[in-house]
Amino acid sequence: MLQVPEVALAPMLPILIVLAGALASTVLGFSLPRRALTIINLVMLVLSGVSMVTLWNSGARAFGGSLQADNAALLLGLTILIGSAMTLLVSLDTAYRARVSFPEFDAMLMYSVTGTLIIAFSGDLITMLIGLEIMSLSSYVLATLQDSRRAEESGLKYFLLGAVGSAILIYGIALVYGGAGSLNYAAIAAQTATLTPGNVGILVGGALLLLAGFGFKVALAPFHQWTPDVYTGAPTSVSLFLSTVVKVAAFAGMLRVFSGALAAAPGWASTLQVLIAVTLVVGNAAALFQPNFKRMLAYSAVAHTGFLALGLLGTPEVGGAALGYYLLIYTLMTAAALAVVAALQRSEEGMTINDLRGLYYRHPAYAVALAVCLASLAGLPPFAGFFGKYLVFQAAFQNGYVWLSVLAALASVAALVYYLRPAMLMFMPDRTPAREYPHGERTPTTLTVALGVVGVTVLGILPNLWYGWVANPGVWGALAGR
Amino acid sequence: MIHLMIFLPLLGSLLLFAVPPRWREEVAGFFAALTLGIGLLIWRGGGSELFSVGWVPALGITYSVALDGVSLALALVTAFMSLVAVLYAARRVSNPGTMLSLVLAMETGLIGIFAARDLVLFYVFFEDALLPALLMLAIYGKPNRMRALVKFAAYTLFGSLLMLLSIIGVKYYGGSPTFALADLVRNPVTGTAQTWLYLGFLAAMAVKLPLWPMHAWLPDFHEQNHDSGVPDVMGTLYKVGGYGIFRFGVTLFPDASEALRPVLMGLAAFTALYAAWIAFRQTDWKRLLAYAGLSHMGFVGLGVFSLNETATIGAMYLLAFQNVYTGALFLSVGMLQERIGSLHTRVGGVMTQAGALGGLSMALWFASIAVPGLAGFIGEFSVLLGAYQVQPWITAVATLSAIAAATYALTAFQTTFWQGRPLGSVRVWDVRGTEWLVLGLPLAVAIFFGVYSAPALNLIQPAVRGVLATLGGQ
Repeated sequence: MLQVPEVALAPMLPILIVLAGALASTVLGFSLPRRALTIINLVMLVLSGVSMVTLWNSGARAFGGSLQADNAALLLGLTILIGSAMTLLVSLDTAYRARVSFPEFDAMLMYSVTGTLIIAFSGDLITMLIGLEIMSLSSYVLATLQDSRRAEESGLKYFLLGAVGSAILIYGIALVYGGAGSLNYAAIAAQTATLTPGNVGILVGGALLLLAGFGFKVALAPFHQWTPDVYTGAPTSVSLFLSTVVKVAAFAGMLRVFSGALAAAPGWASTLQVLIAVTLVVGNAAALFQPNFKRMLAYSAVAHTGFLALGLLGTPEVGGAALGYYLLIYTLMTAAALAVVAALQRSEEGMTINDLRGLYYRHPAYAVALAVCLASLAGLPPFAGFFGKYLVFQAAFQNGYVWLSVLAALASVAALVYYLRPAMLMFMPDRTPAREYPHGERTPTTLTVALGVVGVTVLGILPNLWYGWVANPGVWGALAGR
Repeated sequence: MIHLMIFLPLLGSLLLFAVPPRWREEVAGFFAALTLGIGLLIWRGGGSELFSVGWVPALGITYSVALDGVSLALALVTAFMSLVAVLYAARRVSNPGTMLSLVLAMETGLIGIFAARDLVLFYVFFEDALLPALLMLAIYGKPNRMRALVKFAAYTLFGSLLMLLSIIGVKYYGGSPTFALADLVRNPVTGTAQTWLYLGFLAAMAVKLPLWPMHAWLPDFHEQNHDSGVPDVMGTLYKVGGYGIFRFGVTLFPDASEALRPVLMGLAAFTALYAAWIAFRQTDWKRLLAYAGLSHMGFVGLGVFSLNETATIGAMYLLAFQNVYTGALFLSVGMLQERIGSLHTRVGGVMTQAGALGGLSMALWFASIAVPGLAGFIGEFSVLLGAYQVQPWITAVATLSAIAAATYALTAFQTTFWQGRPLGSVRVWDVRGTEWLVLGLPLAVAIFFGVYSAPALNLIQPAVRGVLATLGGQ
């Protein structure tokens, strides 16, 4: 007699809904226009979000803890959904111009979102790896979908480097398994507390390889080399997706592994602080000299990786809360800024910074919105980017990384210079003909931008609206599961 | 009441975009005047008590504001000069909607800085005042503004991010439950940590003061701003460094401020003299005024760093009224530029055709170089008197800058307003309409508080005593 295994469906529901969207896009793509699919997918994302809200505080788990819908997963999952929804809204307007307007785009996007959610919900290293691979493979395709040499080049680069990153990551998982004797986060966390000296070496080696593997995914220097090329070469809506959703998911994985499973393991934190220092210097210095606005935003994404990763150096309670807040803010502001680029650029190569001169007098609303995003990215109050930066500084500072906090503060000054230049150029009067795409302002894109700007402003003035949720220490104390 | 005074200008600033363009000047003027009126009401009521609620409870950040003593005096000056700036901008700047809106937005940031009694809130207002200043420079600046802008922002942010780290550190090492000043004072940081944190805090304040060698942004900032001088008025109001050191620096880091006193006083005295020396060589009125302001700020620094009661009172007095007469001087330079089309100091003979403009400017300059009977004198004299008791030699050096001030001011005034009018130059019209108010009101304030200083001293003196009492008295 065949027996149906007992599987708890509830914690899988948010993922399954998104997967249903992906499957629907694959199948219905033959009969429905793409816009209809995008709208279906948007509805799916909303439904998934609703299901997450209903799971709040339930602590549901499936597959013996391999998949867990704890509050940390839900908070990170909601951030992922918001980023994905913003990507879809922008793609409604720009996919046609970017020559990626076919159902496969939506399908791939939704598969990728499925993968990101699996990472956020993961309870052991294998689940995390599966999610990571689903996300990565679909992202490779997304980056290549556009029919252009630049997209092909960037996609190939992404694929090759991403594959190396995955290989390193898998090797790291193997070593961690060797050291701790389990793949489950909770079991690893329990093991690291009582290690025999013989196992420490293997575990540290595994942790460092995992760090390198994740370093590729979140673009920590020196593993960041692919980022600027891929973000620039891919269609802007894809860059938006890669620099927000994919990065949030990779950080969710890092939170699970480093602040959860390996929190007590030696070695990785001191390596990570060096990587962060390098990232802050390289990312910010390179962004200073970019003439292309889209490329500058790509380097700014690298620089922000450095700031975000500061959160991992805090204690899980403080650092996790800081990251939980910052990741949402980062998603909102980066997505809104790239949405403006997507709307106004003439070609998918983006625009140069000089093209922004006088934008305020041609597209006042977009210019103000972009200025708000840039101010927030630079960390100027009253926009939420300030509190994001503040929180991660605090997390690292309080855990004893004072010199790194000082370095991060200095790096922020460089950041301010390159965010400020375009922001101020937009307000300078200009008599030369406009260099933007004339019909860029459309409702869905404007909606995305408005969502980002309003979110960044409201959460900056009343940070407690979101921080109140993520600050609960119970959420992040149980990152590894119970 | 106090919240109204802080946020009313911002409300007005946002409303300006909603009202039809031809009413914008009136609406802006109304909001600026109303803010000043509320400020005066608060003054009459004897200041406003501390108001404190949690803002981000999870982080211990509170919304704590109070307007009394020094902060009320500075907030009143800010409201007053903002009104003057609005009056002048409405007439002088073509299509002034955006400018007026920025002036009002900045006013909120500035009053907020003076009202804040929570370190993070202080930081937030501190940065908020920066944004309109940058936008004014970007929208209305001169061709080389980008360099000035980046310089200004980079210096400011360099300091304020280090300050942010210090803020985090003060709470963390002191173990205070919140960032509210009262709580932080109750949980002081001691030892070397205090010195390091004070240095981080000073980094921001030294840029804003500005103190040599952090001053390089200042002349460019003023030179590249709009000719009218309106952004410069707001810029002079932005010099909150002296206040920040007085309110937060001395209270939170008493041992470190005493340990560093000779070094900082030396730097301040050097700044005063060095700036006066450079001002002497300037041929651009805006740069001249910028360096003159820098020299005054050296005096403010000297007073605050000396930790002496008389000197600190003088420094706060100077800080408040320097904004009035230097701001008005920037506006008078704007008027000069409007008439002769240049900011050069060697124009010659303007006095023959525009006597009132020359007279008003000269009177304001007298206030600026501390002629007795005008507000500048009381401030500078008290600073020197008090600082002399602490560090006689350093003070003697600073005194030289008072002589230098007379030299550069009178030379530049003489070559612009006296001397012969060049042949064939355009006819210059005299002060008219609201311009009388724009220059006359600040001058009246400078004279009033130069002759009768009691109302201002009554505000400043108890506050200074209260702060210095934490040091065990000097």
